[in-house]
Amino acid sequence: MSGFRATLQQEVLSARRERMPQVLLIVFLGMVSVSSLIGWLTHRTVTSVWETTRAAGLTTAPNPFAHAASLSYVKNVVIYVVLIGALLAIVLGVSSTLRSRKSRTTDLVLSRPVDVAVHLGAKLTGMAIWLGAILAVAGALTWVSIALIMRGALSAGDTIRLAAFFGVAWVFLLVFVVVGMLSGIHSRRETSALLLPIVAWSVIVFVLPQLGTAALPVSLLNPVAAVPVEGGAFAGVQQIVGPFALGEQFKTLSGAALGTGSPGSLGLAAFAIVTALAAGLLVLLGTRRDHLRRDLRD
Amino acid sequence: MSEIAIRTAGLSKSYGDKKALVGLDLEVRAGEIFGLLGHNGAGKTTTVNLLTTLLPPTGGQMVIGGHDGTANPDAVRRIIGYLPENVQFYDNLTTLENLRYFGRLSGLRRPDARIDQVLEYLDFTGHENERLGTFSKGMRQRVGIAQAILHEPAVLFLDEPTSGLDPQGVRKLREIIVGLNRDLGMTIFMNTHLLSEVTKTCTSIGVLTAGELRYHDSLAATLDAFPDESSLEDIYLHLDSPRVA
Ligand SMILES: Nc1ncnc2c1ncn2[C@@H]1O[C@H](COP(=O)(O)OP(=O)(O)OP(=O)(O)O)[C@@H](O)[C@H]1O
Ligand SMILES: [Mg+2]
Repeated sequence: MSGFRATLQQEVLSARRERMPQVLLIVFLGMVSVSSLIGWLTHRTVTSVWETTRAAGLTTAPNPFAHAASLSYVKNVVIYVVLIGALLAIVLGVSSTLRSRKSRTTDLVLSRPVDVAVHLGAKLTGMAIWLGAILAVAGALTWVSIALIMRGALSAGDTIRLAAFFGVAWVFLLVFVVVGMLSGIHSRRETSALLLPIVAWSVIVFVLPQLGTAALPVSLLNPVAAVPVEGGAFAGVQQIVGPFALGEQFKTLSGAALGTGSPGSLGLAAFAIVTALAAGLLVLLGTRRDHLRRDLRD
Repeated sequence: MSEIAIRTAGLSKSYGDKKALVGLDLEVRAGEIFGLLGHNGAGKTTTVNLLTTLLPPTGGQMVIGGHDGTANPDAVRRIIGYLPENVQFYDNLTTLENLRYFGRLSGLRRPDARIDQVLEYLDFTGHENERLGTFSKGMRQRVGIAQAILHEPAVLFLDEPTSGLDPQGVRKLREIIVGLNRDLGMTIFMNTHLLSEVTKTCTSIGVLTAGELRYHDSLAATLDAFPDESSLEDIYLHLDSPRVA
């Protein structure tokens, strides 16, 4: 079908020139590159406190960080992906479909022999490649910063784990790209196009995990997935809404990928994220021609 | 040439209860420049949107360049060019980047040589690497024509091509339209509410009033019947008045 590559390249080019995704991108990469530093500072502080305590004869316990894996420094990145990464993904998705409506070029596209599913598929592929490139840079930054802290290259095993983590992050973030694209197609106004997926994101990331685990104080910003309660009404709620708390599912998968461990079922986590992506794709690629032509109010 | 480029039979479009186009029966021969006249809201844009397959009709048939527009819209899309009313582009892309994209969507594998040629033809060289966001209305319109003719369409649809242009811009565009028809043999369908536009460029005219085609003839026949422009203006106003049956 004509135009897949053309649309894909046009998307990447346009995305590179837009201001808002750029700002988020810089914040995201900045956070990622300092996150290992933050992890390392935590390590040093804890170790020095532990040494002082032990020297004073106040403890005989081993240093809690003595056996910390080098990838434990990356834990914070998990949170940056769920927070800033997801916002970046939403903005990328929204601007991808809103771009043609805002610039009123939709009719120039649709007066040509363009299949809507191919067209949107090309846009998504363009965004996926762009996001992949961003995560590759984030991965490389992380690798380098850990290597600097550890004063030596990461082992091949750890490198693979790190790559696996960013791979999982890519799939997770694609869900938000798709949600953003759908919002960019269907919203009546530019502002609601951005606002609606951000509300959806905050529900998924902040509200749903709380519904299931309210019995335990859960730090939402904890990179470790929340521990579900056992028994009772909360457990029942958790069973139902838990799978939709994609942020928690992502933490579970990340923990497994990084080898830092985490509770929760790996199978369920993978299933939830893949299903969410597949459902979004199905809706996106089923978009009707006349939906793309809807006017933007303002 | 007697080949028919555009033929419609009972072509209609309603938006809910609002009838924007009512049973349009029209034939435009290949090689013509057809001007569709009508006041604001007469249904000109609706007609062009139907003929360019952007809108599905609520009734009737249309055949463009021998292709059935409702059964095989992609075949129609391959042979038409379209300049929308108040054309806009991706503002943060350059002329070249915008044209490359639309050229490739029209099926051009390597559009660059063709873009050079078209910009040369339109007398619009030197702006290839400037972003569209900085362009004046007239410059934008020129790029708009360029994107519409890159793939050498058989039928070119222009929706109010001269609206918002200054007198020089209007004259230049008129020359371009006539040139495209003469040099490249394109059939041209243009919308306008300016009578003077039609008499200077078109070979046949139609008058649309409240969604109905009230008049259709060659320009020569029209000028014969109504020898001076002011009377043509009268005819237009006469047809245009909703009170006249
Ligand atoms: N999307 C729409 N929904 C409802 N009504 C519409 C829509 N588009 C056009 N109309 C109505 O259909 C009629 C014809 O509109 P159209 O845009 O085709 O007119 P036009 O001749 O191009 O006018 P203009 O000279 O102002 O461009 C108008 O009454 C308009 O209000
Ligand atoms: Mg109009």
